[in-house]
Amino acid sequence: MEILVCLKQVPDDSVEIHLKPGTEEVNLDGVDSVVNAFDTYALEMAARLKEAVGGSITAITIGPEKARDAVKTCLAVGANQGYLISDPAFEAADTLGKSRILAAAVRHLEAEAGKPFDLIFCGREATDRATGQVGPQLAEALGVGLITDLVDIEQTGAGICAKQETESGYRRVEAATPCVVTVNKPAYDPRYPTIKSKLAARKMPIPVLSAAELDNVDPGRPGSHVVRVYEPAKRQAGVKIKEETCEESVLKAVAMMADAKVL
Amino acid sequence: MDWGNHKDILVFVEQAEGKPVNVGLEALAPARTLAGLTGGSVLTLVVGTDNAAAAEKAAVLCDGVLSVEGAAFGDGCTDAFACALEAVVSKYAPAAVLAGNTPLGRELTARLGARMGLGSAQDATALKVEDGTPVWTVPVYGGTVLNDVAVDTVPVLATVRSGAFSRPEAAAAAAVTAEAVDVPDEAVRSRVLETVQEISEAVNLEEAKVIVTGGRGMGSKENFALVEELAQLLGGVVGATRPAIEDGWVSRAHQVGQSGKIVAPALYIACGVSGATQHVSGMSGSGYVVAINKDEEAPIFDVADVGIVGDAVQVLPLMMEEIRRRRAE
Repeated sequence: MEILVCLKQVPDDSVEIHLKPGTEEVNLDGVDSVVNAFDTYALEMAARLKEAVGGSITAITIGPEKARDAVKTCLAVGANQGYLISDPAFEAADTLGKSRILAAAVRHLEAEAGKPFDLIFCGREATDRATGQVGPQLAEALGVGLITDLVDIEQTGAGICAKQETESGYRRVEAATPCVVTVNKPAYDPRYPTIKSKLAARKMPIPVLSAAELDNVDPGRPGSHVVRVYEPAKRQAGVKIKEETCEESVLKAVAMMADAKVL
Repeated sequence: MDWGNHKDILVFVEQAEGKPVNVGLEALAPARTLAGLTGGSVLTLVVGTDNAAAAEKAAVLCDGVLSVEGAAFGDGCTDAFACALEAVVSKYAPAAVLAGNTPLGRELTARLGARMGLGSAQDATALKVEDGTPVWTVPVYGGTVLNDVAVDTVPVLATVRSGAFSRPEAAAAAAVTAEAVDVPDEAVRSRVLETVQEISEAVNLEEAKVIVTGGRGMGSKENFALVEELAQLLGGVVGATRPAIEDGWVSRAHQVGQSGKIVAPALYIACGVSGATQHVSGMSGSGYVVAINKDEEAPIFDVADVGIVGDAVQVLPLMMEEIRRRRAE
């Protein structure tokens, strides 16, 4: 099975992101750039599928030169080859523009390899903006099927059968390949790289695909613009109670709750 | 903002087990604001095999209901829904298309945006009008930063966050119009084989007045029962953080936070919850917050009105005893 995994490099989502005081600029000083968590789940699911049925995984990202690290990370945990899609013309692209760029990259890589991708994996959303638009929009741009929110996948005679998480359980959804799938948190965690796989990944080339290679694809003008950036009003921290005994703390706290008429 | 010939506001209201989902009806409120700008009507779109109940509920909250019914919409296949939405949008040329920020709402707006070349605002928590232009507030970075966003394409696409808007006041029922949409075979690329209900309990965190949430600090499934007991005592709903759910103490229907439910009860009691951003951004709209944690430095105390430094497993029985004693008086 020929598999493509689309990923995004995002600020480490375990770090609280704030603005630089008095500005509308997001303060990313000292915040590591990581592969979006949902994309790491997508890669792990793809790697398990590849191990089960054979094939190859290609990882791609759109971003500046430093996004190369994200691709490198993926090469150490299951991807067989990786590409960095980078061009000044792509910098302002919104989700729709990015889906158009990714679709152009799919066509380019398929032509280069002389064979189509069977499956295209995306994370269900990125942890920074969490809009969940790119996967569905890529399926539309390619004119192929789409299944969202996967927590498991298997190959079938006609294509794939996916376990799709829903509010109250799951659905089993079948689609012919090629198709696009978006991945939620499965029951398993992504694998860790080994020293050996890290060293091997470091030696692998990560070619850059610019607009010229991608048929000068036009991501179009963004369909929205940000008017202002700010932080939500902070809740005021109240009283912290730490009496001699637990009983005393509780009595004091419940008295305060009663005074506030919340009981 | 130049709306051209576009006037009406179309709201896709999703159904679950024959009922309209709350966030869909809530989206009718910002739709009314937009209709005030464009001079158009608020239209609800319901899609399914039997829309009668949902259409009736929506009809008193808007100016017209468009009902697309057919066998093609039976198994929850989103390809068919995308066709229905596109067909209705093409016919009515609305000025905006809104939906709840559910998995289906996100997917349909994304696909419509791709088909028609439109921008969107996703997961909006507020709508303001500035110089005649709708400006949506969307949380980014897990909610620690907000962006005010204007969509520059028409129709404007937006999804709204559950609980962010109050559904409009009910008025006289508007007409329900059946719309026939033909779903071509080739448009349906996936097929739902089976739908499995794993979580049977109805957990209504969004409308709860009181929520008692347990986190990793509860330590075990047995101890987590204390959280359930307090919730019951206060007539509230049980919430949980992701670690508590991953440890199997409670089903994921109870998850509060960025990847679960965004809640705003009058009283929120966090037991053994550290206060990770992902969680806090889902409950910071609560009225009164009580936090119980062993760790004096836990970030949950920064957002609590009252914090008790102590082991929730010891604190909860004492707290319940004291509440019962006060009630008996």
